[in-house]
Amino acid sequence: MRFYILPLAALAIPLVANPYTQFMVNLMLVYVLVAVGFNLVLGNLGQLAFANTALFGIGAYSAAMLMAHAGWPFWLVIVPAGLAGAAAGFLASVTALRGIRVYYLAIVTLAFGELLRWSYIHGERATGGTDGLAVPNSHFFGIALDSETARFYVFLLIVTVLVKAVSNLLQSKIGRAIVAIRDNELATASLAIPTGRYIVLAFTLSGFVVGIAGSLFAVLIGRVIPESFGLIELILHFAMVLVGGLGSLLGSVLGAVALTALPEFFRRFPGLYEMFFGGLLIVFLLVQPRGLSALAARWWQPLRDRYYREH
Amino acid sequence: MLELQHVGVRFAGLQALSDVSLTARGGAVHALIGPNGAGKTTLFNAISGYVALSAGTIALDGAPIHGLTPHQIAAKGLRRTFQNGGLFAELTALENVLAGLHARIDASFAGILFGSRAARAAEREALARARELLRAMGVAHLADQPVKTLSGGQQRTIEIVRAVAADPPLLLLDEPAVGLAPPVRAQLVDLIRRLAGERGIAVLLIEHAVDLVMAVADVVAVFNGGVKIAEGAPAVIRRDPAVLEAYLGHV
Repeated sequence: MRFYILPLAALAIPLVANPYTQFMVNLMLVYVLVAVGFNLVLGNLGQLAFANTALFGIGAYSAAMLMAHAGWPFWLVIVPAGLAGAAAGFLASVTALRGIRVYYLAIVTLAFGELLRWSYIHGERATGGTDGLAVPNSHFFGIALDSETARFYVFLLIVTVLVKAVSNLLQSKIGRAIVAIRDNELATASLAIPTGRYIVLAFTLSGFVVGIAGSLFAVLIGRVIPESFGLIELILHFAMVLVGGLGSLLGSVLGAVALTALPEFFRRFPGLYEMFFGGLLIVFLLVQPRGLSALAARWWQPLRDRYYREH
Repeated sequence: MLELQHVGVRFAGLQALSDVSLTARGGAVHALIGPNGAGKTTLFNAISGYVALSAGTIALDGAPIHGLTPHQIAAKGLRRTFQNGGLFAELTALENVLAGLHARIDASFAGILFGSRAARAAEREALARARELLRAMGVAHLADQPVKTLSGGQQRTIEIVRAVAADPPLLLLDEPAVGLAPPVRAQLVDLIRRLAGERGIAVLLIEHAVDLVMAVADVVAVFNGGVKIAEGAPAVIRRDPAVLEAYLGHV
């Protein structure tokens, strides 16, 4: 039940937030999903795969195209966006399984993301090219998504459901198997755990979660453009996982919230943000490689990540 | 019962094992000894599926297991430990043992995602069993420690607990006593005897320490240069001239 404290408390945010703050909070929710999905592969499975913006973009474009061209409502495109991301994640896992690991996997997945961005730019008929695609106003089972507040409640519901599912997964035999593969793949197989299957599962599920994050992003921003899914965006995703804490669900949430909020504090000092961002990454890499979640767990033990559940 | 017949392993021009036949029975401890490079660990890797055979057959309880992947062989009831330690360093002792129970936890993917009653019950059961196993082996106090923070002896104990968690009929231990202090070694001998004697596990043991082998083994097989040169009861092996020449002579 402790899991629901945060989302329940968040219900009160619209009471105190102005539309702009509310937009930022909604963006945080999108990035929570982005980081949770990315962390599954990068932190828990320990694979240096950089397809995350590709997964994010596929989800966003799938949602935008289905809404703009086919006229589907938002609630109907969420699952297809997730499935499109899952398909791309599955593809990345096949690459990983073929013994293409570490640096090669990093390069292959990076190239995959850039290839997709190229196709968004040149697939003008479907994607709108460099101008992108406007996402029409839509609704979630009748709830019009025409205000930041409405989007917030819908997003909060979706994010809570998905993060809870990932949390359940991590605290189960599957979560343990995924981390076990990261720590010692040969020994994992010796315990009758089908390692290949769990590698595919982690990548595919990561794609599903990040794909759905993409559909939320499309609706929140109102337009999808190729520029949103480039290398800078990837560095942001990476930083969220790293600053939050590799392999930590709480870390994904903390990292996403912190790094979405951060630019706001630097709005009056143009140029300073990039410097601070770079410095922050270096500091975390060198001084606190386990991220904010490890700091949080040091203050309060129950916050540490566990791969089982005390009933 | 594990049966090896005429097993051979070749690595790019090197004949690592030739014509090894061996039978390991439930309830007995079968020690493999021999100098470094004799092929003992290669034999373990061949039995557990990490290395392909170039000749021969391996059967577990009558069914062939050679050609299967490591996790498939493990699913048939084989567990092993690793010479350099096979624990999941970032996980706690309890989580490591839970991983050893993986195949025993009967929970569907959807059940796990949505936290179904059945999935939670299966996990709860495994958790209770893992705690019980740690208690029975006298290491309950290590349950919540990340294994990377444990001593070498504690790590080897946890690895054995994890290996026997799912009641395997066959257990392969690769140099479990390396780096252990004498009292811990005595405990290990006791533990291995109990696994074979009380639980009827067929134990294959690679070990360099002759005293430990003599204390724990029912049968000793001696390897040299990829060939099994002698096999028999410890007292007999101790006096075998070929063994003295090949192995004990080098010590």
